[in-house]
Amino acid sequence: MTVHPAGLAIAFFILGSVVATIYWMLHPPATAADRAATRTEEDVEAMIGSVIIVFSEEIHSEHMLALAARVARRERAELRAIYVVEVPHTLPVDAEMEKEHRAALDVLATAEAIARKNNVEITTEVVPARQVWQGVLDLARRIDAHLIVLGSYREGRYAEAPLGRNIEMIAAKAPCDVLIGVQGQSGRVLSQTPDGTAVPAQTAVR
Amino acid sequence: MTTARTAAQARPQQPTLRRAVTAWGSFSWGYSDVGADIFVGLGLVLGAAAGASNIAFLFAGIVYVCIGLAYTELAATYPVAGGGQYFVFRGLGDIFGFIAGWAVLLDFTIDIVLFAWSCIDYLSKLPVLPFLAYTSHPWTHFLVVFALIVWLAGLNIWGVRESSAFNELVSALDVVSETAILFFGFLFAFHPDLLVHTMTAAWPNTFNLMNGVSLAIISFVGLESISQAAQETQRPASIIPRTSISLILTILIFALSYSNLSLGMQPWHPIPPDAHGHQQMLWHFLGNEENNGAAVAVLASYVPYWGAFAALYVPVLGAILLLISSNSGVFGSSRIAYAMSRTQLLPSIFQRVSPTRRTPVVSIAAFCGVAVVELIFAALPSLSPGMHHLYARLFRGEDGITFLGDLYAFGAATSYSFVFIALIALRFNDAQSPRRFKMPINIPLTYRGRPAEFPVVAVIGFIGIASILVFTMITHEIGRIAGPSWIILGLVGYLVYRHRKGLPVFRSQRHDWRKAQVRILQEAGELELMDEYLRNVKAAEPPSATQRGLER
Repeated sequence: MTVHPAGLAIAFFILGSVVATIYWMLHPPATAADRAATRTEEDVEAMIGSVIIVFSEEIHSEHMLALAARVARRERAELRAIYVVEVPHTLPVDAEMEKEHRAALDVLATAEAIARKNNVEITTEVVPARQVWQGVLDLARRIDAHLIVLGSYREGRYAEAPLGRNIEMIAAKAPCDVLIGVQGQSGRVLSQTPDGTAVPAQTAVR
Repeated sequence: MTTARTAAQARPQQPTLRRAVTAWGSFSWGYSDVGADIFVGLGLVLGAAAGASNIAFLFAGIVYVCIGLAYTELAATYPVAGGGQYFVFRGLGDIFGFIAGWAVLLDFTIDIVLFAWSCIDYLSKLPVLPFLAYTSHPWTHFLVVFALIVWLAGLNIWGVRESSAFNELVSALDVVSETAILFFGFLFAFHPDLLVHTMTAAWPNTFNLMNGVSLAIISFVGLESISQAAQETQRPASIIPRTSISLILTILIFALSYSNLSLGMQPWHPIPPDAHGHQQMLWHFLGNEENNGAAVAVLASYVPYWGAFAALYVPVLGAILLLISSNSGVFGSSRIAYAMSRTQLLPSIFQRVSPTRRTPVVSIAAFCGVAVVELIFAALPSLSPGMHHLYARLFRGEDGITFLGDLYAFGAATSYSFVFIALIALRFNDAQSPRRFKMPINIPLTYRGRPAEFPVVAVIGFIGIASILVFTMITHEIGRIAGPSWIILGLVGYLVYRHRKGLPVFRSQRHDWRKAQVRILQEAGELELMDEYLRNVKAAEPPSATQRGLER
């Protein structure tokens, strides 16, 4: 078999033309909506490198963790679940608080199980602090977190009551973005802990 | 808020087609239809136009480019299911919309038979399953094609469709496969001097050249599948022009390359002698009655190196693509009949949907029935020696596949001719509709005091397709009789139906095209185009009496 120069040129012309045509077809110009969507995607990717999921006696973030885990799986983010134990001013900050510590371990075990189900790695930590918001913000600054994820509670037993003080302070002073799950007027999921019990502070009056 | 909710509840939204077809999906939708044509067309054209097959493909290709550009403009402007039939209906009115739709229906029914026929031909060329060669016996072939049509009808009535993902995969494999065949064929076996020699030595007479051109157009039929899927395509006004142009280029490259390769290729291994023991040229071998139904598979097996591998998979890939195309004929005919029935161009019986399967059972059964009749006409000469003599006397002895090719070319040429006229008419009657894509070369002029553009390429395309229609009528005995008979029969039925229904017989019903266009663009998600359309309409309206008073 001999290769004729004309045959060679035509063969590569066919190959090049087909590849170029298909490439051109698959890359249409982006619309304004496409460009906005791409920008948002990029912002979100930058936002979720290192994620803190906050738990405390009042803050139940299991559902938010499940959501964050799904995003983290795709974006390969680093998840860290923390349970902040509030230590009263009457005690030293490193005081043993057995009952609270035990409750924290239960919640963090649930967090690990949720992460396992979503096939993502998670680190857990019990953080003692004078106030929940202070513990969260100190940790966020220390590890240079990209996002803080947490559930919420209200100060009173009313659907319209203001969000809890810890939530307000975290949102106001966080060194990064904060994703808060707030139970809507008719919302049900974010008002429950994974074992199905309603969160007292969020009980809506209807 | 309460009022809004009540209003929303009072008007339940009609479910609309999901916009899930991507750019590749849109391309594959068209490719699974047009891409299969070369598998059938190559052998037929080589058999008719011999050494001028590449010229026949070039002529038909130029016309096809014009057709493609016209469909691209129209589908991007009117992204609605229906394709050519809808464009003609909108541009030229009810009766021409019916004729175009009826011609498309002829093509779809031929589509069912022709591709089922060729699908079996390709499978018979599979060397690893030699028992499939028995399907080349006339009676076995007839019965298998018949069974295939009945099976496809059953599947469509049952509501089973090939998945889009499967369509996309087969199209991707075929694009890669055809590119590879052509690449290796040209690289290792193409000789320009052999091409020149074949063209000189085997140049056909004018009659055969016209015959070849009329058959070459069947390699380019099916582009309207893209516009038929317009309603389900994401961002149709932006995506459809790209997918259409890509499809036009890809198919054109394949058709021109295959025809030139067939004429100028040195086969990898010797070609068997003909029945009289004479040495055969490759193009002659591909175009004879034994191989013309599966020419691409045979050609692929003679390509150096890649041919050894291609011989194993091209018959299967070709058969799958042809089967998809045949199925698109069943689906397309029922869809067009349903759409024509809804616009009162066909009786309402064609709208009848199976209560359990939710499929247009009457349309499917009726047009598969027509396909079976066409199959019988095509197969008769090979089944009965008496009929063979009759066909030889009356129709120059055309074989079954050529008979189907004749009608296919006739239906396509008729509907495409109307599409070109409709495009010209719509440029003047509906200049307000924004055109994201326009055919090139336009003459700006003023029509009824408004600016409009006259499409020169549409006129070139119309002359091209009309000449192919004339070639078909001159060179095909059966096509000359059966094609116009189909149109006349349909037209008589249309006139009777419209008269009995009390609808305008020769004139069109009143249509609110403005409202229709707003709805089309809104459903297509082309909101910017919708705004532009409304602005254009407002600017074109004569100032109202109040405005005139205010101005004074």
